[in-house]
Amino acid sequence: MTKTKIALVGNPNVGKSTLFNRLTGMRQRVGNYPGITVEKRTGSFSHQQREYEVIDLPGAYGIHPSSLDEELVYDVLADPSNPNHPESVVVIADPFNLYRGALLYQQIRDMGLPAIFVVNMVDEAERAGISIDTVKLEDTLSTRVVLTDARSGRGMEALKAALAYKPSAAPQPFAIPTEYARAVEAVKTAAGQPHDYLAWLYLSQKRVKHLDEPQQTAIANIRQAHHLSHHRLQIQETMARHQDLEHRLKGIVGKPTTTRERFTDRADRLLTHPLWGYVIFFLLLLLIFQAIYTWSGPFMDGIDQAFAWLATQAGKWLPPGPLNGLLTDGIIAGIGGIVIFIPQIAILFVFISLMEESGYMSRVVFLMDRWLRPFGLSGKSAVPLMSGAACAIPAVMSARTIENDKERLITILVTPFMTCSARLPIYIVIIGLVIPQQRVLGLELQALVLFGMYLLGILAALGSAWVLKLFVKSNYKSFLILEMPTYKYPVARNVLFTVWDKTKGFVVGAGKIILAISIILWVLGSFGLDERFTDAEEIVRTENPDISDADFENKVQSQQLEYSILGTLGRFIEPAITPLGYDWKMGIGLIASFAAREVFVSTMATVYSLGGTDDELTIRERMASEINANTGRPAYNLASGLSLLLFYAFAMQCMSTIAIVRKETNSWKWTLIQLAFMTGFAYLAALFAYQLLN
Amino acid sequence: MAERPSISQLEKGEKAVIVGYRADDIPIKLYEMGLLPGVALTLKQRLPFNGPICVQVIGNPNAVALRKTEADLILVDSIA
Repeated sequence: MTKTKIALVGNPNVGKSTLFNRLTGMRQRVGNYPGITVEKRTGSFSHQQREYEVIDLPGAYGIHPSSLDEELVYDVLADPSNPNHPESVVVIADPFNLYRGALLYQQIRDMGLPAIFVVNMVDEAERAGISIDTVKLEDTLSTRVVLTDARSGRGMEALKAALAYKPSAAPQPFAIPTEYARAVEAVKTAAGQPHDYLAWLYLSQKRVKHLDEPQQTAIANIRQAHHLSHHRLQIQETMARHQDLEHRLKGIVGKPTTTRERFTDRADRLLTHPLWGYVIFFLLLLLIFQAIYTWSGPFMDGIDQAFAWLATQAGKWLPPGPLNGLLTDGIIAGIGGIVIFIPQIAILFVFISLMEESGYMSRVVFLMDRWLRPFGLSGKSAVPLMSGAACAIPAVMSARTIENDKERLITILVTPFMTCSARLPIYIVIIGLVIPQQRVLGLELQALVLFGMYLLGILAALGSAWVLKLFVKSNYKSFLILEMPTYKYPVARNVLFTVWDKTKGFVVGAGKIILAISIILWVLGSFGLDERFTDAEEIVRTENPDISDADFENKVQSQQLEYSILGTLGRFIEPAITPLGYDWKMGIGLIASFAAREVFVSTMATVYSLGGTDDELTIRERMASEINANTGRPAYNLASGLSLLLFYAFAMQCMSTIAIVRKETNSWKWTLIQLAFMTGFAYLAALFAYQLLN
Repeated sequence: MAERPSISQLEKGEKAVIVGYRADDIPIKLYEMGLLPGVALTLKQRLPFNGPICVQVIGNPNAVALRKTEADLILVDSIA
């Protein structure tokens, strides 16, 4: 049985995602579109022996793109060879903005795609006293119209039934103004596009991704020859459609009968107030921060104990030796080090998703715009920056709603400075080792330092944005045109889906890397080419003839680690990191951290357990007792500890983020600049701190 | 034609009708959002230090936020 591919299209804030979740339930998955990392949500369901594959396209106001999200909608719908090109489209509209939905619907029909029209949120419309003449609307749009309320599930069966409907011919297509007829004819020949409206779209778009270079140039030349601006054409089409729709939709949608002051108005008076709006937002941020730390406590303790138990059991079950160390300290402890952050990530995403769902997030954008603009950012950068406190990967992806290329690029480049969850295990372990447990002005010193690290992340992000602003050029004017929807009760299942997706993505992604790195480290640490590795026992015996048996074992193992491939790598970079206060063993941790910073602690555990026989100590105890062979002082002292904290705060140590930045910016240049800038800055900050304190 | 005031010159709570635009190349999004000539709106909120403003098209529950630079482009006639 073949699946029918359908696409959900609609303006932002019409409840499209809720409808998608209703249709597909748990049968959905999140992936990426090839080439760009706009999140792609697909799902499937069956109705009356028909299988449907649904793709949830990003929200768009019209077919002419003004952001990356909208560009994607155009590409998928206009290009029949696109793998996501649907067989039919469901256009979802909001009853308060039927014009807008109908405009998008007409554009899609004019492109030659069959579509049905869904008016969602009808419960809200009924409460406001709006009536919709469905029969007349069906006649005007010449398709099936379905009224739904995705929140309550109303109309979902009718929608599923309507999917089988095939509208006949396109309704009166958009009349291309006669003055452009010749230009459109020229485009049809140049691009081999027989379809009038699709050719018109080629002409009225700055760039059409799915055409090849010669065709793009040909179209640009046609525009030039006819003295056309793509922008003017878009405006002309939109204006003409508005006028036409105003006339045609007259009498179909009733005016609201209730004029009582709505809840949104009253709430906004406070939430977007020039003073109280900010006070409330910052109190909310404090609440989120507080919740992440206190609510997650019991869960984190439980996970910690469970993994400690697991490691002990595995340790007893396997014979002692390096393999035991790999499994217990490397893999189990490493995975545990990730799982333990699930509660914090989940709590953060619960808040972020509640803010998005309720409509409050657009108020945050409104409030923050003025304060982010001096840094070359937009109010819309507030969302990626806040999500960056959980994980830079979804945060960088969420920057795609920023229309201006410069603001979007700067947001992507600075978001990885925000303190993500992966930095926490390092911060917590290092702070625990080097910051004394005492109170300053009644506050825990260790907690203050941790808070300071968060602050440092924000300052680094804003500071570097300010610097980047001077170098990044833009071809576009920056603007902020943002819809602020009415406040709505968040839909629980939408929140759950978001939290589940993001958390799973983080755990699976990081888990894979930890597993791979632990094994690679273990292999590199267990083999060596140097004769001090292969003949370690002999050499130790000759150099220390009077050594006791226990010391002999230790000495052999630590010498083997030092001359293993891993040790050789560590010693190779040692000259570069000695000024920062690290030894070659920490160098190995640093190298491994460039894959993902959260592996530092588990790497150090693997390194220390390979180099010694004592399996009784925990990672933390082992780190506390480790002596830096160069200085003869504890490896983790105040100077080297702060130096490490600063290094991890600023360095770009996450392969997944690098990969995402490369995809999202579509530029190796900016990806490498970011990598070099962050890591260079980290090196200098760590160097300065160590040399000052030492 | 005497220069008309722009949206950004409205008082908070003041009602006005869009009569035109000051420049040609205004973002297509303004049109798509329905900020078209003939549309009546009120100024809902204004943030300090030349921050963005928030307007509400009459009859539409969703509001629209604009930076001052965009608001300056939209010319209006005040209505009582």
